[in-house]
Amino acid sequence: MTDISMHLTTDEIELWAQGLLPAARAMHLADCSLCRVEAERERKVILELVQLPKFAPSAGFGDRVMAQVKIATPSGDWTP
Amino acid sequence: MRRYERPVFSLLYRMVRDRALAEDLAQETFVKVLNGIKSYRPEFKFSSWIFKIANNAAIDHLRRKSIDTLSLDGAPSAETPEQVRATSLQLGDRAESPLDEVENRELGTAIERAIARLRPEYRSCILLRHVEGYSYEEIADTLDLPLGTVKTYIHRARNELRGYLEDRRE
Repeated sequence: MTDISMHLTTDEIELWAQGLLPAARAMHLADCSLCRVEAERERKVILELVQLPKFAPSAGFGDRVMAQVKIATPSGDWTP
Repeated sequence: MRRYERPVFSLLYRMVRDRALAEDLAQETFVKVLNGIKSYRPEFKFSSWIFKIANNAAIDHLRRKSIDTLSLDGAPSAETPEQVRATSLQLGDRAESPLDEVENRELGTAIERAIARLRPEYRSCILLRHVEGYSYEEIADTLDLPLGTVKTYIHRARNELRGYLEDRRE
């Protein structure tokens, strides 16, 4: 059993930032300003990362890929 | 393939910070995947296999071009002010093309610029972890790295990002 007074590890802080830290360990944050500050800083950067947008390649990307893919013919040959 | 287009392209774009180049590397990745589909091992997660090929393409490119980081503040190996200046990205040296404008808009936010300052190895780990939501184990499998190394890279990357972002706010 983990002592509630023990500081959170880096992994635990990451879990907390994702809302996945068990309540028993998260309670430590109520009493420890050191861990609270650290956890809050970590949460901010993780939040910025998870909110990053996904970019799309330009139109016709899939066609350009498929033009280079070799497709097996019934005779066993490959055709571009 | 469509399902993986955006994630793979986004990873590559953030790795090389050049739209046209990222598209070439993404194309190379998907052609390799589709032409080499017979070598895919089903015990491996399919998306991990694609990301492995994409990441290798990006890292190979960065090594080939000896731009192991597209840092705005010079290469990490730069130790003197002269080396820092010589390896820094010189913004405003040439007229901005429409593509540059798109890239600046897309990758110009503080967090994107902070990511660009990370070592490429840190960058791929942190993007797989927090953008793709991979577990540490999946990242280790994907990038062929020991689990401990992945954890170290991610923790260091987050520390560096925090530092860059906090410096900006001060």
